[in-house]
Amino acid sequence: MKLKKQYICTVLLILTLGVVSSGFASDKILSRWSKTNHYENDLGNELWITATYYASEYVEALVQSEAEKNLWTADEAEQYKYQLLKTLNLTEYIPIFIGIDNRGPSMHMAPFSDHITLWVGKKKLQPVDYDKRFNFKLQGKRDGFIYFPRYDEKGKPVLQGVKSIRLAINGNVSPITMGKTIDYIWDVVDDNPEKLYTGKAAARLELDRLIKRLEKLNDQKKELEGKLAEVESELQQVQKRVEELQRQ
Amino acid sequence: MKKMLALVAVVALVAFAAPAFAANPFMDVPMNHWAYDAVGQLAARGVVSGYPDGSYKGNQPMTRYEMASLVARALAVVDMNKASKQDVEMLKKLVVEFKDELDALGVKVDKLDSRVAVLEENLGGWKLWGEFRFDAKFADEKGGLYTDNEDVDFDLNRYRIWMSKKVDDKVTFIARLGKGEGTNVAWQRYYIDVKMPWDVNMWAGLWLFDWEGDDGLYTDNDARFTDRSLQGFYFAKPFSMGEFALYAARKDTNTTVTGFDTLVQFDDDGNIIDEMDNVAGIQLAADEYYEYAGRVKFNFNENFWMSGNYIKRDYEVSEDESVWWAAMGVHFNPEWAFKGAYYKEDLGNVTGEDKPGAWQAILDVDQEALGFTSVWIEYMDFDENFKAWTDGPWDDYGTVTGKALGNYDNVLFVRLNQKWNDKWSTFQRYLSGSARGTGVLVDDTTNWTFGVKYYYTPALSFELAYDKIENSMTVNGLDDNVVRLRTRVTF
Repeated sequence: MKLKKQYICTVLLILTLGVVSSGFASDKILSRWSKTNHYENDLGNELWITATYYASEYVEALVQSEAEKNLWTADEAEQYKYQLLKTLNLTEYIPIFIGIDNRGPSMHMAPFSDHITLWVGKKKLQPVDYDKRFNFKLQGKRDGFIYFPRYDEKGKPVLQGVKSIRLAINGNVSPITMGKTIDYIWDVVDDNPEKLYTGKAAARLELDRLIKRLEKLNDQKKELEGKLAEVESELQQVQKRVEELQRQ
Repeated sequence: MKKMLALVAVVALVAFAAPAFAANPFMDVPMNHWAYDAVGQLAARGVVSGYPDGSYKGNQPMTRYEMASLVARALAVVDMNKASKQDVEMLKKLVVEFKDELDALGVKVDKLDSRVAVLEENLGGWKLWGEFRFDAKFADEKGGLYTDNEDVDFDLNRYRIWMSKKVDDKVTFIARLGKGEGTNVAWQRYYIDVKMPWDVNMWAGLWLFDWEGDDGLYTDNDARFTDRSLQGFYFAKPFSMGEFALYAARKDTNTTVTGFDTLVQFDDDGNIIDEMDNVAGIQLAADEYYEYAGRVKFNFNENFWMSGNYIKRDYEVSEDESVWWAAMGVHFNPEWAFKGAYYKEDLGNVTGEDKPGAWQAILDVDQEALGFTSVWIEYMDFDENFKAWTDGPWDDYGTVTGKALGNYDNVLFVRLNQKWNDKWSTFQRYLSGSARGTGVLVDDTTNWTFGVKYYYTPALSFELAYDKIENSMTVNGLDDNVVRLRTRVTF
């Protein structure tokens, strides 16, 4: 009994130290949106699966954290944010980053999109795109993005009015998780990605968008000009033929 | 234009050190050509392909689209083969150079990649994978709590060969051939996984379910009532924030009776109606039963969940048994979680308490919170006769509690894990069980462990541990200790 008391005291001391030494605010934000599930089967084989939801506060915290780690200037941080937002494409998609560390039997997940579901309210979303490397036999580490649509077929934002979302991965992806449910839940009600689109990075993204739009409009213009030229050519031919017939 | 051959040679030399002598499948590439080996290597890896007539046409001018496609394929192959960071960086530079062409090809390439991946995975129809572990145990007692007859055991402890086949878009077949500790090689799983209408998923066959695992209610050897394989039908229906599940299963023991020469059957009045000789081999029904169960789990938000679970065993001969439990969990933040459960069993005809209950409280802290260790503190309190339906929940090394948890008033279990890096981790376990009974033959059980685990590769790990048990299952003086070296291989 004495041993038990000593042990409890030691553990309580550890926990107290843990509370006192709790991390920085940005670390807390990062860990809130990036969640790792650890699984171990009865043979002791292990599997870690991390899922990260790119909420606006997560993106801000990530940029800040990387800037502090790498001693970046404000411009370098803006450049990183610009590249990150470009990759995430938050205006069109809900991106989720998946990291797998498999220390167990091989995982065979092709096609990976069949094993992933995002529950948004009553809607069940399947990925519109994902890192194709998840389709290959996997032991060790692999990570990549999966993208879900941010708007439904009518153009309405799918996250509108939704409090929490749940990402579910089929347990059959690994023998370690067979018979289990792999899921991650995030409360997204206060998330507002539009907040991210300010500053230099946002201006560059806007510029990118406008350049693309310009290219598209120029292509349309060229196409229409081509059609106009065709019509004019046909008009001239018709006119010529009419004149020929009138002369006969 | 020799741009094609030049690029092929660069990619091959940078990215793939071996094999050096891949056979070249194209008839029109001369053997003495300077890029002969490079073309062969890349063809073997599927990066380049020839024309339908089997020729390569190495001197033919290449479009920028073809070049972009080649670089994209090479990049995918390099990733798959874990090339060095420099190799990948160089190829990424090439990709950047041809970015516009890749963008133009994007949709097509993605669709093709996806299709190829699926075809590759389903090539031959079957997927195979496996796991085995080998134990070397050096115990203090001969035939004690860890070993069979001697004090040393070298034992190919367990192995499993998994296989699966996707029958069609809705049906997948999964099976496992394996050997457990002290058992013969057998088919330990065989079931179909079927996507039914209304998002219902069905398993039929011999499958495993683990509701307590889903709720994170155990971390050691076993759950109390789930984490079992059963034969029958299992249905799960996920919804936005949770899941319904139910199943109907049957246990057929096929127990053979030996030592009986004659079976006599009587009518209601006690008269003999049939008498058979030499009936060794008939089946006993005493341990056969139907099992029915249902569960609902609901996540209120990312911080709070609850579940309700019920299982009933309907025996052929014995009295029925059932258990229900309600569980809940709170995440104070992503690293700190509190979980709890209340269990109630109905055991039918037993001496003493026939409806024993138990409750459990768990504090689960991730390593990220404390920096150097994770912490699992579990307290469980039992009524008399409370029993587990699985192996002993804390019997990860030797027999500590067994199934008869009601022999204890309570159990305190602590586990600490320290993950130092991707290769090394250490752990400690401690269990203290307070005996329900009193007397000179009864004492509290104690079990503690120190261990270290090393991953040589993600597929091969070694674990060295020292474990000591005192007064196993509350029997005074039933002690033993062991040094165990465990080797795990997966593929």
